[in-house]
Amino acid sequence: MLFFDTWLRLRNAGILGLNARNRDYIMRHNPRRRYPLVDDKLTTKRLAIEAGIAVPQLYATFETEHDLQKLGERLAPYSEFVIKPAHGSGGSGVLVIDGRRKDLVVKPDGRGLSLEEVEFHVSNILSGVYSLGGVRDDAMVEYRVRVDPIFDPVSYQGVPDIRLLVYRGVPTMAMVRLPTRQSDGKANLHQGAVGVGIEIATGLTVHGVWQNRIVAEHPDFGVSLSHIEIPNWPRLLELGARCYELTGLGYLGVDIVIDRTHGPLLLELNARPGLAIQIANRRGLRGRLEAIDRLESIPGTAVERCELARELFRIH
Amino acid sequence: MRFSAVFILAFVCAAVGLSVAWLKVDRLSVPLDPAAEATVWDVEARVAFEGRGQPAKVALTLPDTPPGFALLDEDFVSRSFGLAIRGAERDQPRQAVWTVRRAAGAQALYYHMKVYPKREEVAPDPGPAPTFPEVPEYAEPLRSAIEAVLAKTRGQSADIVTFTGLLVSTINKSDDENVKLIRKSATEETWAKMLTEVLAGARIPSRIVYGLPLEQEFVDMPLTPWLEVHDGERWHGFDPQSGRNGYPMNFLIWSYDDPHITVAKGVRGVEVGFSANKTPMTQLSVANRVESKLDTGLMALSLQDLPVRTQNVYRVLLMVPLGAFVIVLMRGLVGVPTFGTFMPVLVALAFRETKLMAGIALFLIVVSAGLAIRVALTQLRLLLMPRLASVLVIVIGLMLGISLLSAKLGIEQGLSIALFPMVILTMTIERMSIVWEERGPATAIKEFLGSLFVAVGGYFAMTEPRLVYLMSTFPELLLVVLAMCLCFGAYTGYRLSEILRFRDLAKR
Repeated sequence: MLFFDTWLRLRNAGILGLNARNRDYIMRHNPRRRYPLVDDKLTTKRLAIEAGIAVPQLYATFETEHDLQKLGERLAPYSEFVIKPAHGSGGSGVLVIDGRRKDLVVKPDGRGLSLEEVEFHVSNILSGVYSLGGVRDDAMVEYRVRVDPIFDPVSYQGVPDIRLLVYRGVPTMAMVRLPTRQSDGKANLHQGAVGVGIEIATGLTVHGVWQNRIVAEHPDFGVSLSHIEIPNWPRLLELGARCYELTGLGYLGVDIVIDRTHGPLLLELNARPGLAIQIANRRGLRGRLEAIDRLESIPGTAVERCELARELFRIH
Repeated sequence: MRFSAVFILAFVCAAVGLSVAWLKVDRLSVPLDPAAEATVWDVEARVAFEGRGQPAKVALTLPDTPPGFALLDEDFVSRSFGLAIRGAERDQPRQAVWTVRRAAGAQALYYHMKVYPKREEVAPDPGPAPTFPEVPEYAEPLRSAIEAVLAKTRGQSADIVTFTGLLVSTINKSDDENVKLIRKSATEETWAKMLTEVLAGARIPSRIVYGLPLEQEFVDMPLTPWLEVHDGERWHGFDPQSGRNGYPMNFLIWSYDDPHITVAKGVRGVEVGFSANKTPMTQLSVANRVESKLDTGLMALSLQDLPVRTQNVYRVLLMVPLGAFVIVLMRGLVGVPTFGTFMPVLVALAFRETKLMAGIALFLIVVSAGLAIRVALTQLRLLLMPRLASVLVIVIGLMLGISLLSAKLGIEQGLSIALFPMVILTMTIERMSIVWEERGPATAIKEFLGSLFVAVGGYFAMTEPRLVYLMSTFPELLLVVLAMCLCFGAYTGYRLSEILRFRDLAKR
């Protein structure tokens, strides 16, 4: 009985389940042929640059084992960088380097890596260890984002990122993912990061979700997770909304980081965004998605759509 | 719109599958229970006569489509006689006609039939309603006796059925003077005939059917006469001795109205005797015989026309969709995490061969040993493909080792490890070790146990003997499985695991 009671409550609250997300939204609005645009981060980055959307600067790419010979030479100009697989998912295979010590490059936790170890990591990326289905992959090296200081009290190492759910071009729900000790500095909820809901209208955080449970405080620091003001919120919303034109995907997860000098930068896009965002916001997606579907028309420009979102979702 | 299209398609599939299966059950008596035994009756008619040394012709009336029975087989023992079968025509029953140029001495001809009683209670022949008979011209004093009995019975009954029952039992039992008079007018042979004449006095259409009650085996019996009365809708049977409404169990009707089922020329002393004995047979072989007689084509869609080896392959293959459906439910409805999409079905297939407990043990041994070795390989920093190949080699080595060891120890189950799909084992190990590294041992073990759980579920679905029988006998049920999958493809409700996941959101 309790079970059915929960079922009904969830339905009445408009909580979207995986089956409904897949069938009613992803299959309806995300044409399969556009998936490669978001599955390959290099393609996404190229498209974003063409459209004038800010992204972390690309330093180098490695496509074959042969390229590895030049690894040391090509990384020489940079002391801070991030190496990641172009087809990786969930933050796997990401190697962050934030300094150099003698011949070694240094990870944020202070551990040094030799050039050979970096080469091995890239070689693993190339052979497809981190890509879906184990198919061979490209490795990319890019600018290491410097976290905006606003997140310093609530993030354990790593870079928090902001997930925007953009439905038919309208920013629909948002959360910020804060790394924890358990997630090893990665902003991935599966690995133990905290998700914190954000009001679309104001850019203020609300509640947190950690391991699928609602939390009010950061599990490592014990500081309150609510009422953090996300800097540059209007620009960030607009950046998310513009990704709709970029990909043509109607149900899109946009991951954005906020750099302390460059402001919001597009990190990656996701054609199958997860549902934890609902827990972080303590609110079902269904109502908002249907509110957008009820509109007679959706404005053509990103700025107008952000305006619309702030109007539609004024009350959190 | 998309929604209803799915359901229309699913409905059509299910309807087609179920109706073909139903036709098989109804028309061909294909059993739903594999162990169903059927009793088939061998009925023999023996026509004995004495030849007079001149051309002879003997005709025997044959049942055509006895109601309630399926005719499985028939044959004739004709000796030197020529045999012609005359099909049923208007007023003329089906007949076997034996002829010979010169018949001398005692002769016997045989007609043999194998019948299968489809129902215990005989459903009467649905033929057209007869006309009301004229009141016969009885001779006095029989006439007044009959009229008195009819009048009295009419006063005590409600309709034709109760009237007939009461009348027949009165004529059989009552000590009334009128009844005694009627009784005396008939001999044992003409008893049934007399009943129809009395019934005609009340203008009730009636007839006598001659048949064999297939209840116990018998030898050299005559046909049993049975009274039938038409109430304007259908025929009702009555026991001419007691007036009980109904038919004997498994009453095989041989002929209507005519007690003389033989016509003979040029011979004398014609006698017909019937014998019957029962043979147990599986219901399925009965169904096949019915099909070979009726030739409906319904059994075209069944495995038995294939070579035995292929049959066995399909007996397994036809179960795979059920295993897949179990996965569909487990993933989509329950939300059990599994490695890969169909890995559990393949593991379940392997369990089928190894038996469950041994299968689980072997699976656990190979995967955990493989995982340990895979972790060791991580230290060597091998490239992906060579690493997968190495794990594959090691998995096969492990399998061989287990087989050899169990052969030495005399544990037979260990040998069946060879039936495990090794590529699946390798991929499972690889997937598991990556999940182990990326998401920690908890997630990896959870997914592994999920896969094992689903595989066990699939195993039970795929080995349930009743389901195996149903799928191999009614392959059209594949359409029903398809319909279920289609319906489930349109399911957008929660998974059980999501109820747990989102439980905090249900709080108010």
